[in-house]
Amino acid sequence: MIRVKTAIACGVLATVHGLALLANFAAPYSFAAQKREFAFAPPTAVHWIDRHAHFHWRPFVYGSNGEDESRVYPIRFCTRGYSYRFAGLFPLNRHVFGVDAPGVLFLLGTDGFGRDQFSRLLAGSRISLTAGWLAAILSLALGAVLGGISGYHGGLLDDLIMRMSEISLALPWLYLLLAGRAFLPLDAPSSTAYLVLISVVGILGWARPARLVRGLTLSLRERGYVLAARTFGASGGYLLRTHILPDALSVLVTQMALLVPQYIMAEVTLSFLGLGIDEPVPSWGNMLAGVQHYHVLVSSWWMLLPGVPPAVVALCCFTIADSLASRAGAIPL
Amino acid sequence: MRDAPARNRRKEHMKQTVRAALVISIGCGWSVSGAPAEELLVTSAAPGKYGGDLVVAERSEPKTLNPLMAVENVSREAIGLLMADLIHINRDSQQTEPALAVSADISRDARRYVVHLRRGVRFSDGYPFDADDVLFTFDVYLDAKVHAPQRDLLMSGGKPVAVRKQDSNTVVFEFAQPYGPRDRLFDSLYILPRHLLLKPYAEGKLNGAWDLKVAPGGIAGLGPFRFREYVPGQRLVLEKNPYYWKQDRAGQRLPYVKRVIFRYTGSEDAEALQFENGGADVLSRLSARNFDAISKRRDPSEVLIDAGPSLEYHFLFFNLNDLSNRNLSHIQAKQVWFRDVRFRQAVSTAIDRDAIVRLVYAGRATPIWSPVTPGNKLWRNPKVEPSPRSVAKARTLLGSAGFSWNSANRLLDSSGRLVEFSIVTNTNAERVQMATMIQQDLEEIGIDVRIATLELRTMLDRITTTLDYDACLMGLANGDADPGSEMSIWPSRASAHFWELEPTTPAPQWQTEIDRLMAAQMSSSDPRERKRLYDRVQELVAANLPIIALISPHVLAGSKTGLRNFRPAALLPYVLWNADELFWDAQHNPKTASHQ
Amino acid sequence: MIRFALRRAVHAAVLLVVISLCSFSLLQLAPGNYVDAMRLDVSISPDTAAALRARYGLNQSLPARYVRWWGSVLRGEFGVSFAYGMPVGSLLWPRIKNTLLLATIAAVGLWTVGIVLGVGAAITPSRVLEHVVRSFMSVLHSVPDLLIALALLLLAVRTRLFPIGGMTGLTDSASLAANARDLAEHLALPVTALVLIGLPLVVRHVDAAVRDALRSPFIQAARAHGIPRRRILIAYALPAAANPLISLLGYSIGGLLSSSLLVEVIMGWPGLGSLLLESIFSRDVHVVIGATLVSALFLITGNLISDLLLYVADPRLRVKR
Repeated sequence: MIRVKTAIACGVLATVHGLALLANFAAPYSFAAQKREFAFAPPTAVHWIDRHAHFHWRPFVYGSNGEDESRVYPIRFCTRGYSYRFAGLFPLNRHVFGVDAPGVLFLLGTDGFGRDQFSRLLAGSRISLTAGWLAAILSLALGAVLGGISGYHGGLLDDLIMRMSEISLALPWLYLLLAGRAFLPLDAPSSTAYLVLISVVGILGWARPARLVRGLTLSLRERGYVLAARTFGASGGYLLRTHILPDALSVLVTQMALLVPQYIMAEVTLSFLGLGIDEPVPSWGNMLAGVQHYHVLVSSWWMLLPGVPPAVVALCCFTIADSLASRAGAIPL
Repeated sequence: MRDAPARNRRKEHMKQTVRAALVISIGCGWSVSGAPAEELLVTSAAPGKYGGDLVVAERSEPKTLNPLMAVENVSREAIGLLMADLIHINRDSQQTEPALAVSADISRDARRYVVHLRRGVRFSDGYPFDADDVLFTFDVYLDAKVHAPQRDLLMSGGKPVAVRKQDSNTVVFEFAQPYGPRDRLFDSLYILPRHLLLKPYAEGKLNGAWDLKVAPGGIAGLGPFRFREYVPGQRLVLEKNPYYWKQDRAGQRLPYVKRVIFRYTGSEDAEALQFENGGADVLSRLSARNFDAISKRRDPSEVLIDAGPSLEYHFLFFNLNDLSNRNLSHIQAKQVWFRDVRFRQAVSTAIDRDAIVRLVYAGRATPIWSPVTPGNKLWRNPKVEPSPRSVAKARTLLGSAGFSWNSANRLLDSSGRLVEFSIVTNTNAERVQMATMIQQDLEEIGIDVRIATLELRTMLDRITTTLDYDACLMGLANGDADPGSEMSIWPSRASAHFWELEPTTPAPQWQTEIDRLMAAQMSSSDPRERKRLYDRVQELVAANLPIIALISPHVLAGSKTGLRNFRPAALLPYVLWNADELFWDAQHNPKTASHQ
Repeated sequence: MIRFALRRAVHAAVLLVVISLCSFSLLQLAPGNYVDAMRLDVSISPDTAAALRARYGLNQSLPARYVRWWGSVLRGEFGVSFAYGMPVGSLLWPRIKNTLLLATIAAVGLWTVGIVLGVGAAITPSRVLEHVVRSFMSVLHSVPDLLIALALLLLAVRTRLFPIGGMTGLTDSASLAANARDLAEHLALPVTALVLIGLPLVVRHVDAAVRDALRSPFIQAARAHGIPRRRILIAYALPAAANPLISLLGYSIGGLLSSSLLVEVIMGWPGLGSLLLESIFSRDVHVVIGATLVSALFLITGNLISDLLLYVADPRLRVKR
């Protein structure tokens, strides 16, 4: 029985991913478009009732980002805007909503260049979610393999892998990340460089999943059916593939649900240190990184809003992880 | 017995005479034996009141108190308060003025400097100062084994300056060649105490002296403050030097404040927070946006000052190195464009400097077309004119250089290749923003620009060692207004000649000309001649654009209300250059109780 | 028991040596070194820079530098910081004390509040209260740590109740009470941040562990015997719940240290964190290695303590099978 909370969490996650896929359609402006006269503009106020107390079915905004009440720009739906390639295949220029120029609609305000934060948030969701999933998958895959081998064979191999994991947890990997960008050719597109960096972060995070899988393998390999298979001459690899790891699947999925938000947060930290994806491409991390600046912290409150999507994604993932874990009877770490 | 009173009188008289003679001889002996009257420097600033602390917020800690080892600005700021030089450059007027030296006789050919020292001056521990300390100091600076950075400043014509003691209050400096910058040389060459440092010097341990663990009694200087305490990771505390050799017009000995405290905050944003929280009195080098955010609060207890452009300039340059010995053919192909001056001029005129000033610096910067900024009052060549942004002009220049545009408005070179390059810059928020705006601007003339953000040292490695980059956006600050400090940038083989560390042969004619002009101004004894030569250098740079100068950020500083004589200047250290004259007025004095 | 501790100590020593070797190699990976940034200072000539490089041994080969570093370790200096010109040991020692102080007080606060909230959530008959605590912990877990620290900073600045940054105030006082109060004021913000960051995990685990223990058969039997609820909780359930919690203690010490790096940097606490970050960016390699070894030592010690505590607390581990 799926509980209501879990269903809602799944629904929200699906919506977020859907929006990420349809980012270009849902966003009124391109993420790099600078409207320099509207730098650090607060969110545009949307009205249904005008100055003369008339109600309009179609919502509208005033000109100059709400300052000029003499000009009214109704919000149009399925409207024309900047052109993009839908699913990278065919060019399209329709967007869910928008206003005619020179009116502007900044649902979440703008940043220092006058770039629409709402559009950037949608575009950034692609980068951040990719980062989260990619790093989590790499981390879990490597961890599962090494942890499985370690737990199954035991002895010296187990010791070696566990010591390596302890060392790996202690080393200052930040150095490697500092160097990371420098190893790639400069004209490599920034997205490539970024993906490489995220992959490195994911691979470096093998230690915790490995310990988890090792613990699991240790307990599972003593189960009756595994021993029986052994007496039938099954090899270690076969046992791991066919019997042990599938049983561990639910735990692995739970772990995945925990790792994705963790790596989204890691991306935020990297962006804080300036190691995130390069301008002008947005990600939740580098949009949030602006908050460390004094002037943003004290005056432009809308710049904090990019912190909401990662928190929402994290909350949903934790809810799903909880429900999975409670079915399995264990506490996810 | 009529004689008795007379005899008494005579005895009295004798006693008095003897007493007088004794006093006189002791007096003479005293002055002869060497406690001369102090010659104090009288300052012209408004006389102030004693008392209070000055808390300066700093984004990083001072790392050392040793002038030979200090390379960071914060360390230098702290050392600048502890020590003094012979002749000092007034950061406001940008001219030299006497400091520890009362005067200096400069020979007509600017080779010989006879420096007359101030008498009766004492170090902060009470020990007297004289020519022996000066001699010791310059011995140390010139010693090749010590590797002091100051040594490079004391070379002329490849030979070090000769220093000779004439008497206990006079020292003679002799250069092999005429020294263009003249007495500006002496600024920031701090005088070291011989009585404390002779022993470490003899033992070869001078570079390890005066680290932050030094005891207050083990360090002494001639500056307005002396070292009191270092609390790791938190603050450096300096206290007033009772022997400081300056006084104000009212006869009060400087400095006025009791302590100067360098408070470590970690980042520029944390400095601003600390200021708002009341935990710091002085902020120097605020970023433009934070400056704006603080001034918007209109807090009456805060004073914010925009002191105009500094000597700092941000610029874009292309990779003009000779790459024939390296495996960088993709960059060599692009250098065909970079080496064409019309291409560089087109890029320069397509960049919207005003928008950068408005958006990145909130208006608190000055667009520049030459690396000699308006902050350099004495040397700027007014004939180098600003050229307003013109996309049309850029297109014309590119057209005349053989470039064309395809149907998608993308720029193509004469062989039909798409013109695109990457700009490398470090992870400094403002520089990244500038690069983003340049990216947008150049898109209008069809050039596809990519931005690669590298961490600082990684970027430096790229542009100085591997030379694997297309273009770079960077900022430099001149140490002094004088062109003497530019000798490491403009001549062809200079160490900071970043755009062409591997010079091409043959060198372009204008570069050879610049080499000649710079060498000439360095050894010219006529200030007007030097100005003429340096003006010509600026014209050549503006015409040939080895670098594309963009903007000069303003010096933005803040203080709490009540701090008087607070006059931020365009030269480093922007705010503390007259720390000895700063004081708290009656309303806000003393302030120790209200600090957290 | 002694043999166990000794074996772990030897393990730890070997681990530290390997970590030092790996770190040293890793640190050469990033291009550029400490002296390179001096290129931007136009008053320093290339010759001086080259001489500095030679003095710091930056032009020597990696093995030679490693051996030289070991020599320094044996002298007790642990290398010399390029930036400070001081032995790394004396540079790190005050910072280590400050970080330990922060981490210890935060750990005490974290586990106190965590146990109270967790036990409360596990035993409360009110489903609303239980739900509120769980939801609040979930939300807290989802908010990025960075935002928590920044929000606290902003709160402090707006209310002017607490000093930000530093560990001690500017005026020295002789009285112990005044100094203690000063320290407490400076500790308030960073400790609150660390507690808020670490709380969700602790509360969740305490809640689950106590709940599990309360469901087990021997507790049911104790209830059937009529033993009062409070006595059951304190004398029976909590000790049974202690096993997984002590394992968590070791794990949470590691988490506390890594969050303390973040909190120290953002809130200006003068510990290892801010020094480490600055040294990484300025390539002050000996400081980075020294700080890395110290953190590794903390981690290993944390795990060792939790293992020892487990041994002491859980009699099942003491029985030889």
